Amino acid sequence: MMKRKDWQDGFRIIFPVVLGYIPLGLACGMLLYDSGFSIVAILLMSLFVFAGAAQFMTASMVVMGATTPTIIMMVFFLNLRHLLMSSSLSKFFKNSSVPFILLFSHTLADEAYAVNYNQFQNHKWSEHQALATNLSAYITWALSTVVGGWMGSALMIDITIMNYVLIAMFIALLINQLVSKLFVVVGLAAGILSVVLMELLHHNIALVIAAIIASFFGYLIDKYLDEKKMKEVHIK
Amino acid sequence: MTVNPWILISGMAIVTYLPRMLPMLVLSKRTIPEKLAKWMSFIPVSIFSALIFSDIFFWAGSLNGDPFTNLKLIPSILTAAIAYYTKSLLWSMVAGVASLSLFIYLS
Repeated sequence: MMKRKDWQDGFRIIFPVVLGYIPLGLACGMLLYDSGFSIVAILLMSLFVFAGAAQFMTASMVVMGATTPTIIMMVFFLNLRHLLMSSSLSKFFKNSSVPFILLFSHTLADEAYAVNYNQFQNHKWSEHQALATNLSAYITWALSTVVGGWMGSALMIDITIMNYVLIAMFIALLINQLVSKLFVVVGLAAGILSVVLMELLHHNIALVIAAIIASFFGYLIDKYLDEKKMKEVHIK
Repeated sequence: MTVNPWILISGMAIVTYLPRMLPMLVLSKRTIPEKLAKWMSFIPVSIFSALIFSDIFFWAGSLNGDPFTNLKLIPSILTAAIAYYTKSLLWSMVAGVASLSLFIYLS
């Protein structure tokens, strides 16, 4: 069972992130409320979906009149990044029970992942401390979005600005992921392709197509560079 | 609202839970094929980039690359610069949203 000490350790390590979640959660709750979700729907979405970027995106896609399958597909692709995080954390949970993994993985998020990975790698860190870290972020997020939804009706903010909150968040997340030149090239390819396809198709599916083509393009370049490197080593 | 929120939330819950849960559950025993992992490593960058570009280059519903009339372009560069130098999600967002609000107010 989780001890009081585990909760304290987890909360302490994630505290700076949790502070940042509050304004984000408030903004997300307001956007969701303004796009037509009830407070109960906002709470359930935060508890069962728990994905900041995806929840922001849902609000703006609903406003733009996107259909349910399109939104679900975009959310799926947006959150595919968790596949990588979940894979890389798996090595620290070899002795954990299946129910524990089922609960822990549900609360996996970008920031808590980064913190937990670092703790496991460089410090003495247990599954319970890791779960406390995740749950601190999870509870803060859910409460902030509900409060934001409740405030939503009281505030009148320009719709362009409201949508831009999401875009600014994506820009910051993107910049932090550009770890090599190849990622910059792939990002530019995806961006340009998405604009062209959007202009041609006038449908959000353009984003999914652009992202799939660009990531495959990145894979091909990476493979080409690897093979070239192998040949050079061979010649030497 | 044109969508049914309960169906939407259920669908979102499934597609967000599977990528989080399956690797942790399965991979404590084995690993993903290398090619698939390689391709997947480019997905986050591609998806964020597509979301950003397809939004900021459209103003009032039409393609617009002019920073004087499309007011989202300069705040986006500012957001990117702040994210690059501070690594702070919150401050980058504050800078972007505040500068766009100012531009809209002034225009």
